[in-house]
Amino acid sequence: MNTGQVDKAFAELREILGDRATTSPVHRMAYTRDWSPRYRGMNDLPDIVVIPNDTQEMIRITRVAYRYEIPLVPFAGGTGMGGGAVAWKGGILVETKGLNRILEIDRENMTVTVQSGITIEVLNHELTRHKLWLPHQPESKRACTIGASIGCDNDSTFGIRYGKIRDCLLNAVIVTGRAEAIRVGQRKASFSSTGYKLLDLLVASEGTLGTITEATLRVVPLPETRQIRGYLCRSLNDTAKGLERLLGSGLAIESAHANCRNRLHFYTHSYREKYGREPKLPAWAEAILFLSFAGDRDIVDFTVDKAAQIMVDEFKAEPVGEQELVEGWWDSKHRLDFVPFKQKWPDSQRHKKFGAADLGLPVGRLEEGYHRYLEIAEKWDQEILGMTIYNESPNKATASISFAVFVDDSNEDRVRQFYQYVREMSEMAIALDGTMSTYIGDGDRLGGFNQLEHGLGLKYMRRIKGIFDPKNIMNPGKKFQSRWIEYHQEMT
Amino acid sequence: MKRKNLRDYVEDIYTCNRTRCGFCREQCPVYHIKGYETYSCRGKMLVGRGLIENTLSPSMEMAQILDQCLLCGLCQARCALNTLDIITSMRQQMVLDGFSTPIHRGNVERILKEGYLLDARADTVREGQVPLYVGCVYRSKPRELATALSVLERLDIHPLIGDETCCGYIVEATGFGKEFEAVQEQFKKTYQQFNAPEILTLCPTCTATLKEKYGLPVKHAIVAVAEQLRRRQGGVKSLGFRATYHDPCHLGRMVGIFEEPREILRQLDIQLVEMENNRYFSTCCGGGGGIHAVDPDLSIEIAKNRVRDAIRVGVETIVTVCPTCEPTLLRAAARLAGEVGIFVDVQSLWDLLDKALE
Repeated sequence: MNTGQVDKAFAELREILGDRATTSPVHRMAYTRDWSPRYRGMNDLPDIVVIPNDTQEMIRITRVAYRYEIPLVPFAGGTGMGGGAVAWKGGILVETKGLNRILEIDRENMTVTVQSGITIEVLNHELTRHKLWLPHQPESKRACTIGASIGCDNDSTFGIRYGKIRDCLLNAVIVTGRAEAIRVGQRKASFSSTGYKLLDLLVASEGTLGTITEATLRVVPLPETRQIRGYLCRSLNDTAKGLERLLGSGLAIESAHANCRNRLHFYTHSYREKYGREPKLPAWAEAILFLSFAGDRDIVDFTVDKAAQIMVDEFKAEPVGEQELVEGWWDSKHRLDFVPFKQKWPDSQRHKKFGAADLGLPVGRLEEGYHRYLEIAEKWDQEILGMTIYNESPNKATASISFAVFVDDSNEDRVRQFYQYVREMSEMAIALDGTMSTYIGDGDRLGGFNQLEHGLGLKYMRRIKGIFDPKNIMNPGKKFQSRWIEYHQEMT
Repeated sequence: MKRKNLRDYVEDIYTCNRTRCGFCREQCPVYHIKGYETYSCRGKMLVGRGLIENTLSPSMEMAQILDQCLLCGLCQARCALNTLDIITSMRQQMVLDGFSTPIHRGNVERILKEGYLLDARADTVREGQVPLYVGCVYRSKPRELATALSVLERLDIHPLIGDETCCGYIVEATGFGKEFEAVQEQFKKTYQQFNAPEILTLCPTCTATLKEKYGLPVKHAIVAVAEQLRRRQGGVKSLGFRATYHDPCHLGRMVGIFEEPREILRQLDIQLVEMENNRYFSTCCGGGGGIHAVDPDLSIEIAKNRVRDAIRVGVETIVTVCPTCEPTLLRAAARLAGEVGIFVDVQSLWDLLDKALE
């Protein structure tokens, strides 16, 4: 980074933002990581950190970055798993959580308009007062923002009923790399067939087109009641087939996650806290399907009973007898209401770090994917944590899969081995007619290498980026370059 | 026990860095106002990493940022790591490297020289049967101390108060680890009730310190009051109004006393309305961790947010039982009244007991 340019840019940013712009090394240090596996001593230090409070300030910040051709990196929850929010190439890091206001709750039209830096939990806390909620809910909702959900296209616990963020998103404001703010989408309507769907482009754009500053989202009424259940299944394929059958019967399911038996242990923290032991599973159980049902009490009661009947009679599944085990899953996924001073996440990562290949596979390839996962993890010496299948599309069985491992992040070689595991898993996904990523995104991992998935399409993506960001200042490197995975040159 | 330093927490810091859940961040009262991640616990754990890996050098700026932590423990309640000890060790590192805040150093020197943080203006002589440790803050507040002692005596709890010195909480909390060892020695030499089977305390912070740092069998006096009222089964006047209860960080989160003050309020016929953040997840009054000394404006802004919590649930009175929380919240309530036109009174539970036992 040209320090002269940075100094000039900083002087202008101070004029605009005052104390909300800093070059303090202490503050910059706090933005050197997201949740992606990184080795000791690896810190991506931005040159400047800024905290805008509204779209107009974001436009002015982007003008400065544009003028001095300095990278601009939006940073939100900092819980991304792909390195998307770190300032790999330095520059100005935009702390978007200063954009944290609710601009409108439109009860009549069931929409909420927010600044993009509000966390999903805070937003839902406010919506609850109106008996509403935003059903897009990643596990990281305590930290994750609306803007990050759009930018990363992350997962949602309630995907099988409500989909992901795109299914809730009606319009958004993005300040492009040209320092222009545009509102894209369909206002408060649910659909539009005019023009190109620029709103779709924002989803999973990872800050490479611009900084999202506002969004309008469709919200839904809070359900009266909710029940959660778990079913031990004889195979992973049974979980998908069972789910398809439940949906085909006309039952409404709110969330559906299937775990291989290894992965279960990651989700049973509260069970361990209460009983001081790991849950025991019958030897025949190869997978567990966790479901939640929500709505009016009598409908939910009926649905729970009917679902149990289908799973037991038609798939020889067995309801999980110890409800604490099911509650443990739900604590991890939704309630996040851990015993004070005994939160699960740090407890589970004291020695090694959680890491995952997040693949999308056709629903008929689950067993195949699982066995390849075991082989590939072993090949790259990764400690197997297990596989979770998230269903992220309304009313159908889908497979957004976390193939998780514990990563030894004590040195560079071990971390690079993890990314070799990600590379080979990604190749496997493409070979099985799937996709390399379903909720983490490209980040600094898959860029360029994703040509394997997109072919010539990647070249068009680069052209699209050029329209939004002609000087390549918006989160440069991400999506089109990998710092971990070697790949062949892009097709010309 | 050997005093731990920052290097002893390397694995904890790395655990936070590799977890990144951010559960600690959103509700951190300081981060909420300041906006940079650095003010949250998660951000500080990356600063800690920088210190450990020598990518960051200690500085006065770093010391000031660390001083702007309440040590309220809300982050720790949301975590499985001992975040307060880690942040304290970072403050100690600053002091060791010569970056201490003058006002904190002055306080430490005073405690070492005079035995107290504040002028001891109250009459503390009592020759009852139950050992009671008063602490610096109550010793400096004659009226408040007299009220609390009077309440205790009317409930047949007769305090025995002898010589004592500062428990040293503020010395350790502000990073003066070595000096804290000297204060501990001073305390042990002076405090006469070291071998008592049970010691009553008035100040939540002293309660936590005596328990954790000296291993003393302490009981906060409000617990003794709750026990006596249970035995008496009545005999208190009905005060009959609506109020919310603010859990002092040290009495609640740190020592686990949540229900006794609420039980007493109910006995006084006070309709208790809970704020959204209560018990383990109560937010700080803004007076914790020595922050008031170094940044009174930040302290008052944090306190105003706590008063806003009370306004949000529609009460006109906050009751609490801490000599730091009471004045801090009251100052903020007065300021906030000028801004939003709603005044929320702040009352000490001791004062309410005083009225109810008339």
